[in-house]
Amino acid sequence: MSLCKSIATVSMAYLDDELAAEERHELEAHLTECASCRAHLEADRADQDLIRHALVAPPAPELIRARLARSLDAADQAHGRAQRRRWSQYLLPGSAVLAAAAAPAVFVGVQAPSERAASTVAHEAVRHGTRSLPLEVQGASTGPWLRQHFEPSIEPPRFSEPGSTLIGARLLPRGINGKDGALLSYQVERAGSPFVLSVLVVRDVGDADLQDGRIVRINNRTLRVTESSGRPVVTYVDGSRMGYMFLAPELSVNELVWLVSRTELVGPQ
Amino acid sequence: MLAVRHKRDEFERQALVHVDALYGAAYRLTRNPRDAEDLVQDALLRAYKFWDSFQQDSNCKAWLLRIVTNTFINEYQRKKRSREVLDAATAEQDATDGVLVHAAARDKQSPEAALVERSISDDVQRALDKLPDDFRTAVILCDMQGLSYKEIAEIMECPVGTVMSRLFRGRKLLAAALKDFAVAEGYVKPATPESSGAGTIDLEAYRAAKAAREGSS
Repeated sequence: MSLCKSIATVSMAYLDDELAAEERHELEAHLTECASCRAHLEADRADQDLIRHALVAPPAPELIRARLARSLDAADQAHGRAQRRRWSQYLLPGSAVLAAAAAPAVFVGVQAPSERAASTVAHEAVRHGTRSLPLEVQGASTGPWLRQHFEPSIEPPRFSEPGSTLIGARLLPRGINGKDGALLSYQVERAGSPFVLSVLVVRDVGDADLQDGRIVRINNRTLRVTESSGRPVVTYVDGSRMGYMFLAPELSVNELVWLVSRTELVGPQ
Repeated sequence: MLAVRHKRDEFERQALVHVDALYGAAYRLTRNPRDAEDLVQDALLRAYKFWDSFQQDSNCKAWLLRIVTNTFINEYQRKKRSREVLDAATAEQDATDGVLVHAAARDKQSPEAALVERSISDDVQRALDKLPDDFRTAVILCDMQGLSYKEIAEIMECPVGTVMSRLFRGRKLLAAALKDFAVAEGYVKPATPESSGAGTIDLEAYRAAKAAREGSS
């Protein structure tokens, strides 16, 4: 039988599932009556099993994914620079879209009458900062981008809560109360459900800008807490008059204050 | 920019799910975890740049493996060669200096690296090292990644027949080397040498001969 002569080829193709159905059936029929070819195929199969077993490699290290995300971010960003003019069409992924879109509905025009006169940074921040404008940078390159475009010494606040990640940032085109500002967008995990928290960072915030709100002392630092229609804004001004306003429509005042107290910015000294 | 977002989403959905497989191939190709990581990183970044040229109905994993393989051949082989030249030069330098301090200092510099290097030079790697590059690549693509002969032929830019013969010979060598190590370690008994004259591997010839026979009968 001619199959015997070609058994090396046919056996290999059979084991690699490269034979046509007809060829396969022909070989299988032949194997029932040819012990030598059967032995050949079984030897090939054993070798293949040995090789496949030996070649199993470890899974990719976890860090490779983070590293990849960073370089893809950078690639996107390089692409984005080339298309800066089209940023107005930019959309955020997933929950960020929702929150960015939901924020203005929550904040714009909800100031209580007693607060209307006070043009504090917090309220300005809420009014100007939470419109659903596109982020200009996303991912791990956010920090460097902010230092380049906004403030050379800025370090985006980090939350010690696990599952908190910086999504991205954009500049506030008209600033707040005439001061330069940037909006940082975070995804924060709470009890398994992620929500978006915004931090507005504003330069050169003084006492005149901070007229309202309750004062809360945490870790020897002063936080101001304001509420608009039950939605909290927590403001912190650091030693170099850089103001940080934390907004998270999903959270209660206490939850937000607690979360802010868990940033490096306000955390234990 | 919506297009960019869409592109990234699609890339993550279709390409990044293969990271483990690509890393496995890279690990066996480079035979070094650090190089494997760099290779995967470079190849995926390249894939992202050329994502538009990926035909959506084709096998994404095969397309990515092609990029990994090509990147490996183009970049890493060259890098390795230049590193070998450099190593040789350094060795020569050390020898002419007659000082062992150099080598000792180098070893001290990266104990982790040395450890990593050592841990991967296991039996499998030593067996793989013995294979010619083309054989190794064919075996990795077939037995590790499960690609078809045709997909491997496209990646290696050679006829299917060539893939089969590389695969055949690569497997024979690799299986023999693995068994040798197993024998050395006492896992298996040495086998009597089998007749290696299995003839040539040629599915086309087999099919042609068969068609000719059937045509003449």
